[in-house]
Amino acid sequence: MKRISSIKPQALRLISCLAITLLGNAAHAGILFMGAYPNSLLVFDEDKGAVVERIPLTTGLPTSLKLSMDRKTIYVTTNDHSGIEVVDVATRKVTNHFVLNTDTKHFRFNGGTPDPSGTLFYTLTTEIDKMNDRYEIGKPKYTVIDLTQQKIVKTFDLAKEEETAMGGGGGYRTGFEISKDGKYLYQFGTKVVILDTKDFKVVDRMDLAKPELPGLESVGFGSALDSLSEPGQHISVFNAADPYVHNRIFGIGRFDLETRQVDFTPVGPAPQGMTGLQVAPDKKDAFTVVANGQQGNKRCEFWHFDLSSNKVTDRSEFACKSRFSFGMSKSGKKLYIYGASFEIEVYDAATMKYEKTWDLNNDITMAGLIEVE
Amino acid sequence: MKHLRAVNKKARRIDQMISSRNDVVALQQQQQRPHVPMGCTLSFSPGWEVDSAGGTAGLCQPVERDIYDCYVTCFWPAQVPDHLNNYPDWASKCAAATKDWRKLDLVFP
Repeated sequence: MKRISSIKPQALRLISCLAITLLGNAAHAGILFMGAYPNSLLVFDEDKGAVVERIPLTTGLPTSLKLSMDRKTIYVTTNDHSGIEVVDVATRKVTNHFVLNTDTKHFRFNGGTPDPSGTLFYTLTTEIDKMNDRYEIGKPKYTVIDLTQQKIVKTFDLAKEEETAMGGGGGYRTGFEISKDGKYLYQFGTKVVILDTKDFKVVDRMDLAKPELPGLESVGFGSALDSLSEPGQHISVFNAADPYVHNRIFGIGRFDLETRQVDFTPVGPAPQGMTGLQVAPDKKDAFTVVANGQQGNKRCEFWHFDLSSNKVTDRSEFACKSRFSFGMSKSGKKLYIYGASFEIEVYDAATMKYEKTWDLNNDITMAGLIEVE
Repeated sequence: MKHLRAVNKKARRIDQMISSRNDVVALQQQQQRPHVPMGCTLSFSPGWEVDSAGGTAGLCQPVERDIYDCYVTCFWPAQVPDHLNNYPDWASKCAAATKDWRKLDLVFP
């Protein structure tokens, strides 16, 4: 008591401020979950700059990750046997896992999202039947998987328009989002298609396409590459074209998933390639990567958006690889270039300049990364 | 875009003309890509030995950076063992192909 009473009030204030600052930093320490070869999830601590844990997946190689609305659960699809694994973020343990493949029946996933209750998983699957003398590959279907029963409980055919417009399968990079009440499922591909989850009838279609970046690593869950996916909201960059001269423009689209309201603000001519939008926690600053040119002539730039005015405020060129994915730290202060390798290149978001490279010592898959605090 | 509509006579005439015929695609066409003859592998799709322009500048460098995603997707089954059907354990002892490629399993088709 004597020692405490001897500390001056100013010093106490300083100590308490320091403690608050430290606790604040600790609370914002980001943890990244990444799919890794051959069959695990890497848990990466942003503060330490190191892999702190590895979560083994019994069903095989992770191809896509999706965070639940409450940010407590990660849903992983694996492709060895068309498996699904459910990972608890807090304990970093697999709480449920199963496979869909049988000896004569295989499936391929294309995108997916859990329903808000976490009991169902909506996805697009292609069924492959092994016959005596051949394989028969079915048409892609909307599929409802019951995570408790660990099996497919319903499938629905795609509407003709989706079959033809999306190349028969929703495109290579289909992403799904769901409204908070679970009534509407949003499919983001070459168009935005809104589906009623009761019968998978199309409620609405919008001529907004997710831009693609040649060489961008595919993520089966689509919006995993967009950092802001708060329940009920979806913000990203989209391409659109007028019906006459097909002049392609890109802009920022804001979706209210509950009311199905869309606000699309054109920004400028569509670049050749573009990644998803990474939105900082302040919801004001956002970043994307734009690529123009091909092969050895490809040039990549970070673009910084001010979402309050929907304008590009800054650009910075960086040396990009042939294939990569783009991400952002939980704090919004670092930009990540990763994928097709065992490294994460770290750029400072304020200056958009290269800072360092983290060596994961393990190749990571195309599943993308998920950040949690 | 659904929200665009013709507001004058000329625009309405263009609208009618467009709707009465097939889509105009000339402005959308991409630059023609070079013909890439089939190499020593069986795949007609460039990407493994050469990129879509016939060179190597568009490939991942070193090639081991990209070897797993080619292996997993079965896109070049003649060049890389296919993960899904025949060689699921080809890379099971090699976490980082660029560093540990010697640990990749041997394949005897």
